[in-house]
Amino acid sequence: MMSFNKRSILFLWFIFVFTHGWVLAEDTKGYLSVTGPCELEFPEDHASHPDYRTEWWYYTGNLKSAAGNRYGFQLTFFRRRIIPSESEKRWPAPASAWRSSQIYLAHAAISDLDGKQHFHAQDMGRGVLGIAGEFRDNDIVRIFLKKWSTRIGPKVHQLKVISDPFSFELNLTPVKPAAFHGEEGYSQKGSTPEKASCYYSLTRLDTIGQVTLAKKTFAVSGLSWMDHEFSTASLEPGLVGWDWFSLQLSDNTEIMIYLLRQKDATIHPASSGTYVRSNGKTRHLPRHDIQVTVTDTWNSPDSGAVYPARWRLRISSPAMDLMIAPNLANQEMGTKESTGVTYWEGSVSVRGIKKGRRINGKGYVEMTGYAKAYDAPLH
Amino acid sequence: MAKNNNRPVIHARHLTRIYRLGDSEVIGINDIGLDIAPGELVVLKGNSGSGKSTLLSLIAGLDRPTHGFLNVADHNLTQATSPDLTYFRRKVVGMVFQSFNLMPTLNVLENACLPGLLAGKSADQVTSKAMGLLDWLGLSTRWNHLPAQLSGGEMQRTAIARALINDPDIILADEPTGNLDSRNGQIVVELFAELNRNWNRTVIIATHSDIADSVASMTICLKDGAITDQTCDI
Amino acid sequence: MKKHLGRALTVLLGIALGAAVFTSVRLSIHAALDSFTRSMDVIAGSADRVMVQPGGRVPEEWVAKLMQFSVVRDVSPVLTAYVRLADKKSEPFLLIGLDPIMDRSFRKWQFSERTEEDVESWIELLKRPYTLIIGKSLAEKYAVYRGDHLFIEHTRQTAFFSIAGILSPGGLAMAEGGMIALTDIATFQELTKLYGLVDRIDIKLDPNTTSEDLDHIRKNLPDNFQLGAPSAAKESGQGLIRAYQLNLSILSFASLFVGMFLVYSLVALNAASRRHELAVLRATGASPHFLFLVFLAEGALFGVMGWLTALPISTILVKYLLKGVSQTISILFAKVQVETLSLSPWEILLSFAITVFTSSVSAVQPAWEAMQVSPNEALEISRHGMTRKTSPRKLVIGGIGCLFLVVPLSLLPGILNMTLPGYFAILFLFVGFSLFAPWSLIQMGHALSPILHRFVGIPAYLAGRYVRDSGTRTAVSVGALITAVALFASLVIMIHSFRSTVELWAHQTVSGDLFVTTKMGEINRFRYPLPRTVVDGLEEFSNQVDIVPSRRYSLTYNNFPYEFQLLDIHVFLRHGDFVWLKGDPDRVRTLLKHGKGVVISEVFSNRTGVAMGDRFRARIESSLVELPVLGIIRDYRTRGGVVFYSLPQFNIRYHDVPWGGCRIFLKDRTKNPEMAVASLKNEFIRRWGDTLEIISGQALRNTILRVFDETFAITIVLLLIALAIAALGIATTLTVLVLERSKQLNTLYAVGADFGQIRSMILWEAAFMVVAGELAGIVCGFVLSYILVYVINRQSFGWTFLYEVDWGALAMSLPLIILTALAAAYPAIKMVFRESPATLLREN
Repeated sequence: MMSFNKRSILFLWFIFVFTHGWVLAEDTKGYLSVTGPCELEFPEDHASHPDYRTEWWYYTGNLKSAAGNRYGFQLTFFRRRIIPSESEKRWPAPASAWRSSQIYLAHAAISDLDGKQHFHAQDMGRGVLGIAGEFRDNDIVRIFLKKWSTRIGPKVHQLKVISDPFSFELNLTPVKPAAFHGEEGYSQKGSTPEKASCYYSLTRLDTIGQVTLAKKTFAVSGLSWMDHEFSTASLEPGLVGWDWFSLQLSDNTEIMIYLLRQKDATIHPASSGTYVRSNGKTRHLPRHDIQVTVTDTWNSPDSGAVYPARWRLRISSPAMDLMIAPNLANQEMGTKESTGVTYWEGSVSVRGIKKGRRINGKGYVEMTGYAKAYDAPLH
Repeated sequence: MAKNNNRPVIHARHLTRIYRLGDSEVIGINDIGLDIAPGELVVLKGNSGSGKSTLLSLIAGLDRPTHGFLNVADHNLTQATSPDLTYFRRKVVGMVFQSFNLMPTLNVLENACLPGLLAGKSADQVTSKAMGLLDWLGLSTRWNHLPAQLSGGEMQRTAIARALINDPDIILADEPTGNLDSRNGQIVVELFAELNRNWNRTVIIATHSDIADSVASMTICLKDGAITDQTCDI
Repeated sequence: MKKHLGRALTVLLGIALGAAVFTSVRLSIHAALDSFTRSMDVIAGSADRVMVQPGGRVPEEWVAKLMQFSVVRDVSPVLTAYVRLADKKSEPFLLIGLDPIMDRSFRKWQFSERTEEDVESWIELLKRPYTLIIGKSLAEKYAVYRGDHLFIEHTRQTAFFSIAGILSPGGLAMAEGGMIALTDIATFQELTKLYGLVDRIDIKLDPNTTSEDLDHIRKNLPDNFQLGAPSAAKESGQGLIRAYQLNLSILSFASLFVGMFLVYSLVALNAASRRHELAVLRATGASPHFLFLVFLAEGALFGVMGWLTALPISTILVKYLLKGVSQTISILFAKVQVETLSLSPWEILLSFAITVFTSSVSAVQPAWEAMQVSPNEALEISRHGMTRKTSPRKLVIGGIGCLFLVVPLSLLPGILNMTLPGYFAILFLFVGFSLFAPWSLIQMGHALSPILHRFVGIPAYLAGRYVRDSGTRTAVSVGALITAVALFASLVIMIHSFRSTVELWAHQTVSGDLFVTTKMGEINRFRYPLPRTVVDGLEEFSNQVDIVPSRRYSLTYNNFPYEFQLLDIHVFLRHGDFVWLKGDPDRVRTLLKHGKGVVISEVFSNRTGVAMGDRFRARIESSLVELPVLGIIRDYRTRGGVVFYSLPQFNIRYHDVPWGGCRIFLKDRTKNPEMAVASLKNEFIRRWGDTLEIISGQALRNTILRVFDETFAITIVLLLIALAIAALGIATTLTVLVLERSKQLNTLYAVGADFGQIRSMILWEAAFMVVAGELAGIVCGFVLSYILVYVINRQSFGWTFLYEVDWGALAMSLPLIILTALAAAYPAIKMVFRESPATLLREN
């Protein structure tokens, strides 16, 4: 018998909506939908788009300390609109300062790849009274939740996480312009036009900063990746989860791929990817250009899920044949109390051949829907 | 020695007393008939269980017979009411017990006065009479002592004073020397003899010893609840 | 024991009653205290510290500001208020406003139905205004379900709420017996119009937080805010309830204590009647210690069997007591809602231990006497009827010694907030007076016997003589009666003193023709001021009435709860007054009117140590108040102390405070004041009936006295039980004495006493014992009443009262006690001549 205490409920909901997924079968009436071109401009579009239901700023990266120890990190800020803006008109007048239509969640993780340990933390808060939200000042956008924040400036993103048992402060400098996915950022995730999001990434950010782990602080440097996506759409019925890859290759190019998995184990045709050249120009990778084969699996001792643990990725153009392997087997995110909505998010390494040449790189992979099919509906 | 030829002071016919203890019956006395003239000094002899105490208690008005007839000093005890019996016990008989039965919280004088006070007489009257009795009994110097401070003989003499305070016609004594040494026992028996001789009291002594044989004018032997004609074999 | 079966059963009954009373009282209060504690704990949650503004609220901006301190892990703002269902005029229940997201690590709750819909109820709280989640008890009481609507009334407004979910028992739903509801903090602020404010902010700290870290936070808070322990409210409430618990326990222990005498008399009888047997035992090798243990064990056995017999009695008694006790505690101290009786094993063990201990102790003296039996006695004819006399002089010396301890013990201060020296003083008082019993019986017998002989007759005389010389056995029963009478008399005096003082206080200080407060003002501790429209409206009546506005703040002083009350002293003193205890009233009144200082209640002074002439310091909202204490007054509110200051002067010197309530005095009282008050009240209700509570002064004062009477109802019940036990003791003793003296009584019969005279003698013996007990009991009772009024009450609750004896009640009650006790002699009388007088002569 499951004990539905509040903590687990919140976490369940949190995990559910946090990922790149969209909530299943929800009423999307009253919310602004992404149905066409996103026309993204900066710095404005780094900030939030509050009329859309879901939005996230998502950072991952692979770092190394001065001593040569390797780490992966992740920080995500997630905004969720819980009622359509029409409903705000029916609020009591005057309304309490606590009355809010936005809830923010944040998730952070550190993978100590050499120490073979994985740490994560989460938090949640409503977007009022300085608890969470967004702060804009000219060209600076600051997204925050309590003691965590990302400060997006014209040249640098400053990430700050204070938690237990880890903290980090990182400065991320984009070395390429934003890469728009799909059609200029309009990224389809289903069969119909409104099943889409506006989605762009900063695919390569030089990173320096410090990490505190088990009361020890050390300097780190490396490369990071940032995603910013917003949408109102819910996940199409029949989808059980997705696999998402972000890879930074040694020839200064990057690849982003998401594969929407269906009940019958096939991949939904809306799945796609983006190839980012070293000059920052992007190339859309349609479904038929991508071939992913799972070559190994890993059994989670906690959730019992069987995750892919090694992939062979082949892309036709540009031609590449890559092997992707996790840098640490257990980078699963989930709680023992939850109903099994767990997912895997972790640092990976890449090796392979691209256009006939040896290539390697690092990246992050996210896999959902392996522990249990995504079918917990939340209204 | 018969002192006079008046009607018997104690007249009993077919006197029977049966005790019921649960389902069983114990016969105290069975079909006793006797006549005792006034002025006699009677010794009721018999062993333990012979019925002498039962007979004495009937005569004293402490108990009622099961069957038979009993008249003591013109009091029909078989049909007497409670007030009758009270009067009887105050005026007609005086009792002396084997264990003295003095009131432990009262001194010698108070014990002696007790029946008089219970009978409603004035304290002065009773006190002066009691002092006289105590004087006669050789207890005048001990008048304010408690029973716990007295010897056995002194206690019994106090009891005798108590028994005499209301001038009863009949003195009843149940084993009066049973708890006394031979000397004191002899003193007590002589006192009874004097009461009988000089004071004209009818005295009935129930005993199993022969200490009172020499002063008795009449001896009644009891055995198994009945009077026997034989000499009392103790 | 078989030999004296009837008596043994009587003693068992006595012990059982005493043990049942003690156990039930302890269990009831434990349940109430437990319920209160759990409720408070569950509401307090797992916070490490709490940020509050004494007397006020905390601005909500501090929620984010607190998060910026490095040692602060988490915060949760909380608002609470009592509300009720408007259409059902129901009992108020607690509404808690919080942010379900921020609160998730502070407090736990569970849903009763585990469907996904219920699981997401909490999101509904955020999404839809005026939704709430209610406790299962509340839902069941009003037969409502998820999706239903409730019309909820708060001081500030009434609104429709939709039920988003039902909580199952467990976690937060355990508070207030499940009569609880949760709503989103936004809804709460909108309902109560407390925009921008929260009652408190709960804080969770890093486990390695040091005191320096806390000081750092404190330094950065404005002066009028405090960082307190979350248990403060719980502890102050617990303190009040515990004082009540101790008092009631001691009172119920009195029943057990009286039962001790019963055990004593029966064990003593057993020892005495088996004296010969004991001598034989000794002669055949038993040690004195063996005899001691045998009789000690007999006492203990009585205790065990009495306690077991008490169990069924307790189960009935506790149900009755539980309701009464929780109601009393809720009215007087802090709201408790006892759902079920939690059988505390510790309490049960305690009552068992105390019962067995007291009966064992009662058996000590007879056991000791049994130990003294020498083997020689086996050979003597036992002098039946008189045991070895214990010298009354020794007992008197012991008694004097005990009584000497009474005064010094009374003067000692309480230990750990428990007035234990006071109770020990009472114990020594009882023991001392009881030890005097043999001596006083002797003196009484000595003095009265001759007089009675002259005027009443020989039976009385004999009775006097017997009682005089009968030894400790009668004295023990007299001791029991002394205890019961003393308790009774002292409580009659104390309750009367208390009541008349409270009446005086109510009349003077709670004076007023009409009292006006916000709706549910009292239960919400008067935290919401009167709306401005009401204040303006009331002032329109100023030609007919004098208005005394007031504002009350619930604060604590070193964890002791008190109320800081601002009052328009000028107008108040025209119509009413304080009941002065210390300070020159005329002088203090003038100074008070001019705002030169405060007056504090006796309770406040006794419990905090602040005395007249000291400085009173407190933070009231944004002001720091520091004023001299001008005088001390009597005050009988039960939730702590009170400090009074002039409202107009506060507005001038510190900051403006809106009225929290006011009392109304008619200017002209010559023409039918009752009708005038009634018509005023109706007018106020017509205008403001939906926002105010209006009560007539007379009704309020009557309520105060009614609450008082109901509170002491329990006390009176316990007392009557103690008296009944004492009467049982007298009956037992007399019966024993009659049976023991059957030979004597038969002898009396034989030498000329009639039945009437003997019965009369027994009755007179009873009369002597009872009168001795009653006289000594009254004297003891007067002394005890002083201790109760000036020591126990002062140390337990902080107050004293004007000592006043209700001679009428005493005069009426005492003959009743005498009659009852004499009625107890009846069984003994029936025992006379159970054995026929003929046994005097019976041969065996």
